[in-house]
Order: sequence, then C-alpha cells, then structure tokens
Amino acid sequence: MNNDSVINKRPNPTSRIIMWSILILFAVVQIFPLIWLVNFSLVSNNEMFTNGLLVWPEKLRFDNYVKAFIDGHFLLYLKNSVLINVLAVIIVLFISVCMAFACSRMYWKLSKVVKGLILLGMMIPIHATLLPNYMIYDRLQINDSIWALLIPYIAFSLPQGLFLTCSFMESIPREIEEAALIDGCGIYSVIFIIITPLLKTSLVTVSIMTFLNNWNEFMMASTYLNSPKWRTLPFSVLEFTGLYSSNYAVQFAVMSLTAAPMVIMYFMLNKHITKGVAMGAVKG
Amino acid sequence: MHKAYSNKLVILSLVLPGILTFVFAVLAPICLSVYYALTDFSGLGDYNFIGGTNFIELIHDTNFWLSLRNSLLLAAGFILIQHPLAIITAAILDRLGKHAEGFFRCVYFLPNVISVAIIAYLWKFIYNPSFGLLNNVIEIFGGKGEVNMLGTGTAIWAVLVVLIWHGFGWGMLIYYTGIKNIDPTLYEAASIDGADNKISFLRITLPLMKPVIQVNVTLAVITALKQMETVYLLTNGGPGNETQFMANYLYKQAFSSFKYGYGNSISVAFVSICILSTIILNRIFKEKAEA
Repeated sequence: MNNDSVINKRPNPTSRIIMWSILILFAVVQIFPLIWLVNFSLVSNNEMFTNGLLVWPEKLRFDNYVKAFIDGHFLLYLKNSVLINVLAVIIVLFISVCMAFACSRMYWKLSKVVKGLILLGMMIPIHATLLPNYMIYDRLQINDSIWALLIPYIAFSLPQGLFLTCSFMESIPREIEEAALIDGCGIYSVIFIIITPLLKTSLVTVSIMTFLNNWNEFMMASTYLNSPKWRTLPFSVLEFTGLYSSNYAVQFAVMSLTAAPMVIMYFMLNKHITKGVAMGAVKG
Repeated sequence: MHKAYSNKLVILSLVLPGILTFVFAVLAPICLSVYYALTDFSGLGDYNFIGGTNFIELIHDTNFWLSLRNSLLLAAGFILIQHPLAIITAAILDRLGKHAEGFFRCVYFLPNVISVAIIAYLWKFIYNPSFGLLNNVIEIFGGKGEVNMLGTGTAIWAVLVVLIWHGFGWGMLIYYTGIKNIDPTLYEAASIDGADNKISFLRITLPLMKPVIQVNVTLAVITALKQMETVYLLTNGGPGNETQFMANYLYKQAFSSFKYGYGNSISVAFVSICILSTIILNRIFKEKAEA
C-alpha cells in the first residue's frame, strides 16, 4: 500500500494511528464549515431549521444560485475584481522590477534610503490610511473611481514586491547584463529584455501574493466607493445580507458563488500558490 | 559601463513611479492623519486645533486599552494554540507520501483563499442560535443547543476561534516549507541511532526550525495588532466594545461617532504601536540569534 520509505520512517502502528487521526481531525475542522456552506446553499429556507449537521434536501434548490447570480451583480463585480486585480498585479510587477534594478544595480547616493522608505511600508497597517485617504480622494473627486482602489492596492503590495524582486535580482550574475551593455543595449532593454525573463520565479511569487492580498480586500473598497460601479466581488455578500435578510439559503448561495472563482483558481494553480506563499512569507 | 549605471535621468525614471505611488497612498495619508489628530474635526464643517487633547483623551479611553488587550489576547492565541498545532501538523504531514501530503496541504490551506467577507458571514451563521452548525454539534454531543456565542462574555472567544481557524493553513504552510528545508539525512541518522518520531521532532525539527518560528511569531503579533476585517463584519466590536480591535475602533469613532479628529489620533497611536512592536520583536530575535 505505502511505499517502503514511509514504513521505514514510522514503524510503530499506534503512533501511526495517532498521526492519521490528528491529520484527519484538523482536516475535518478546516473543511467541514465549507461543506456545510455548500450544503445549506442548496436547500430551501425551511429545511435549514432541522436538527442534524447536514441536510438532505428534497430537491436541490439551484434557484438559490440564480437569485444570487442576478441580484448579487455577480458578473459586474467579478469583472471589476478581475480588472482591478490584474491591473494592480501588472503595475506592481512593472514598478518592482524598475525600482529593484535601480536600487540593486545602479549607482546613486539615495538608493538605500529610497529602498528603506518603501520597505518601511511593510510595517504600516493598511487601516491607518483609511481615514485620511477617504478625505484625500474626496477632495480630488476620485472617490468612486477605479483609482481609489488601484492606487492603494498597488502602494500596499509594492513593499513586498520590491523586497522579493531585489533579493532575487541580487542572485543574478552581473556578467550577462554587462555583456549586453557592451554590445550597445540600452538600460531599458537590459531591464525588460534580459533581466525580466530571468526573474520569472520571483515575478510569479509577487503576482500571487499581490493577487491573494487584494482579491479579498473589501475594507478600502467599502470606504472609498459609494456606488456599485466599481465594487468588487466581496460586495455581493455584503449587499445580500441587507437585501435578503431573512432568506438565509440564498445568502449561503451567494457566499458559495463568490468564493468559487478563487477556489477554482486555487485548485488550478495549487502548486504555484503553495510555493509562492511559502517563498513570500519566508522572505517577507 | 559605470557611466550608463549612474545616469541620473534613467534612475529617476525608474524609481519615480514607485515613489509617487507610495508617497501619495501611504506617506501623505499618514502625515495628514497626524495633522487631523490635532483637531476636533467631526468629518464635516469647520474645525479647531486642540493640540494634544485627543491624545490625552485616548490615554483615558478604556475602550482603546480594551482593544489593545484583545489584540494581545489574539496574539497569544496565535502563538500558544495555532502555531504549536501548525508545527505538529506540518511535521506529521512531512512524513506522508506524495498524494496524501498534497491532499491534506490543500485542505488545510483552502479557507485562506476564501474572502474574509465570506468567512465572517459563514461563522456568523455557524454561531447562529436557531440554525447554526455549532449548536447542532453541541446537540449531537447531548448539550443544549441554544447557545449564542456572540453574546456578552463569550463573544471575544468566539472571535478568536474564527481567526485562529482561518489563519491555521497559512501558518502550517510556512512551517511545512521550513521542515521541507531540513536535510533528510539528519532524520535517517537519528533513526539509525534509535530515535523515535517524538525524539527526532524535539531534537531535530524544533531546534532547526527556530528561525522560521521567530519569523512566524513576529508575523502573528503584527497580524493580531492589525486585525480588522473579520471583527468588523462578525461583531463590529460588540456587544458593547467587548470584541473591539484598534483598527475597528478608529473606524467606528470616525465614521459612526463622527469624531474624525479623534479617530485619527487613534490611527496615529495604532501605526506607532505596529511599527514599535515590529522593531522590538526584530531586535529581540536578533540579539537571541547572536547570543
């Protein structure tokens, strides 16, 4: 059943049972609430009030999902989320590569100061900027525009992006770019044609971290936006609790629905995400 | 060569976009926050400079200290409950075969990719007294199933459970990567010498994981201090201010109590506490590493 090395490592059957029970217990604790969520999203509102952990519905109520899809503005908010997050990732990558090159390769007096300043941003909590940014965006009349989300999303992902890119760039030998420079390549083409492809691993990590951090963000969104135009996916859930305050089954459906895109993406990119988080966390 | 690398114009063009974004979205707001912290601005209309009055009020504000205590309680929960469980799980997971390992890792991390908004409402439903999952579980074990965990007295524990549950996979994954980096020949040598799993965990895994544990502990304290989203949706600091956290409190003061100036003074204190604790923790661990 198992391969030999596993058996060699754990010869004692009782300790093996204990290990497996620990793993399974935690797995159940972590996953059961989510199973419960999906289960209750498929029942009628009355069936929810029965005893027992899960409910076997008489009829699967997919109409809950239809309601969630339409009244939750699912498509609009999904589009906003995708657009804002993809833009944020691209801009963060671009700025990180530029700054990392300037800070770790080029010669200028303030390079350490500038890098230190941006890295200081890792210590500053997002929520401390909620109040003043609200005022600033209000004055500049960019409340309720894509900029009100894009700018802070970029700014708060930048420190980690810069940090990871810098430490990765330092491991790339300088000879490659020096050869290119001697051949008459400009600085910009050195950065974007020669260095950037070599940074692939770290750029994937930065993208994943930026995406994970910003995709689920809603505090800034709910503070700076006041019309549905640019609202992101978490708002489907937030709005629904008011709209269908007594129809719980539909609320379960909207929650499963809004969780789905990210869960599907996680299953598809499982390996990259695991690696990205591990790398980002260890170095961050 | 050297000339191309010190062209000021090129350097400026490379760093300016980043600096501008950062100054506009992070630095300027923090400075503005300090400015408003010295006023009695309500959010609308005129305001006066009142010097340090807000900060004196802050020192006497029991709710502020309560929210700081809650943050520390959460940090303790992370460090004493979540992290030991995460390390043990990661160590066991490391010993499994390929497929089982991937499966469990995936299951443990899954809650982390789901939006905090969904997690908060999900747990609100789990705690719901009339149809919640928790009460049904209690009934199965023969208890009385009408407990309202989010009520007075128990609310803070209910909030802690949610946060510890949600962050478990993330912590587990970091420890897991750390354990994967340990040289497997060490374990082989130990098992030849007759060490069982418990001994090799205590003598090999834990000591070698020290740097990872230190990073994770720092992260746990910072995460606990910064906590806002889950509490905002789950209890909004209630009942009363029992489950208040700093970020949520400053938000409430500014936008619900219309004390924008006072909210900013909490914000300034909040930033200072976060930066200070990061510096202190780094200092402590650095000294220990050198000693």
